[in-house]
Amino acid sequence: MRELPNPVDYAVPIFVLLIIFEMIWAKRKAPEKYEPKDTLSSLLFGFGSSVSGIAFGAASVAIAAVFAQHQLTQIPFAWWAWALCFVLDDLAYYVFHRAAHRVRWFWAAHVNHHSSQHYNLSTALRQTWTGFLAINFIFRLPLVLIGFPAEMLLFVGGINLIYQFWIHTEAIGRMPRWFEAVMNTPSHHRVHHAVNPRYLDRNYAGVFIIWDKMFGTFTSEVDDEPIRYGIVKQLGNFNLMWGVFHEWVGIGRDLIRAPFGSKLGYLLGPPGWSHDASRDTSDMIRARWQEQQND
Amino acid sequence: MVVLQLLASLLAVLALAWISRWLGLGGNVRIEDEDHARRIASESLFGFAAIDVALDRGGYSALVKDVTGRHALINVKGAHFVARYVYPPVEGRLDRAFLTIDLKEPDFDPVTLNLGEAAQYWASGLRHIPNA
Repeated sequence: MRELPNPVDYAVPIFVLLIIFEMIWAKRKAPEKYEPKDTLSSLLFGFGSSVSGIAFGAASVAIAAVFAQHQLTQIPFAWWAWALCFVLDDLAYYVFHRAAHRVRWFWAAHVNHHSSQHYNLSTALRQTWTGFLAINFIFRLPLVLIGFPAEMLLFVGGINLIYQFWIHTEAIGRMPRWFEAVMNTPSHHRVHHAVNPRYLDRNYAGVFIIWDKMFGTFTSEVDDEPIRYGIVKQLGNFNLMWGVFHEWVGIGRDLIRAPFGSKLGYLLGPPGWSHDASRDTSDMIRARWQEQQND
Repeated sequence: MVVLQLLASLLAVLALAWISRWLGLGGNVRIEDEDHARRIASESLFGFAAIDVALDRGGYSALVKDVTGRHALINVKGAHFVARYVYPPVEGRLDRAFLTIDLKEPDFDPVTLNLGEAAQYWASGLRHIPNA
């Protein structure tokens, strides 16, 4: 395998500096945009995610190597391949991200990124510890099978992750119209992190917002409605371990208690699904809200 | 090398958390009045229409009730609020003006509300909450 650097390693010092700049902005404009306990929690999520990445990194590479033996073709390290790989990897990210919000199994790992009621650059680092266990890597395997080198995929995946850092902020309003039309931006991603009914399960894009526009999941930010961030059932405290594992615990409990024929629904149904409709999915919440708007 | 990288990351985490505290970031939010409590309940529980509100004297928490008798508990969490439905059987302990409610949820610690004379009324109301 060709050795390529991990671009995220080089970006981390810049992340730290930008977080400090944003904190100073918050101090002047809106101190409530940061909450020290929440910040510590988010950053520890990020730290734990790095540890998890190291722990499962070798296994990920091994799996990619196995799939690489069955490639349809071998795409070279040419400039066009890098560009194509970046775009297709972003499409794979869109598919993964949509599944991560619509299938409870994947949501159990991804919920970590959304469980803060704050939206700032530290939220960007609030990453999952259980992504490997949730087999999130399957969404990138088709690109390995097409013929992209695994190291190229890892590299562009790192660039994708770095891009997504700066969009986690309320310090930037809107970017120029041409940029908003094509790229994911702070405005588009605020919508994604919102729990206002109109915004639930929207804007899954990583880098290019065009995927949401193509697949009908795009919603633009409304200026006169304050955004509330977090998850439908907000965490009650800042406990790190509960934050990391709470949805997995919930799945376990539901699988034990549910009638036999309903068990799969608690695993592969949308978050909030229940066999007796005693809970709310985001579709149900949005439908109820829509009904209220029509009255 | 990896260990050094992780140590540096951990130091950066602690430094950033310390800076956020040092800068005095964070909100000192309170539930301002009954209307505020109603709004929080409606937003947090997606349409909960509170008709009756018991506001903690310090503004840290509130207990609200809708027309069907459902109860919800609101509590301050950092610079935001968190609300939960109160389902039976619920453990409510009354100590003169103070009503302590334990929802027995792992991430929701028992909440003590200073409700003054209304504490007794709300404590008895907890015994008649409808099922989910």
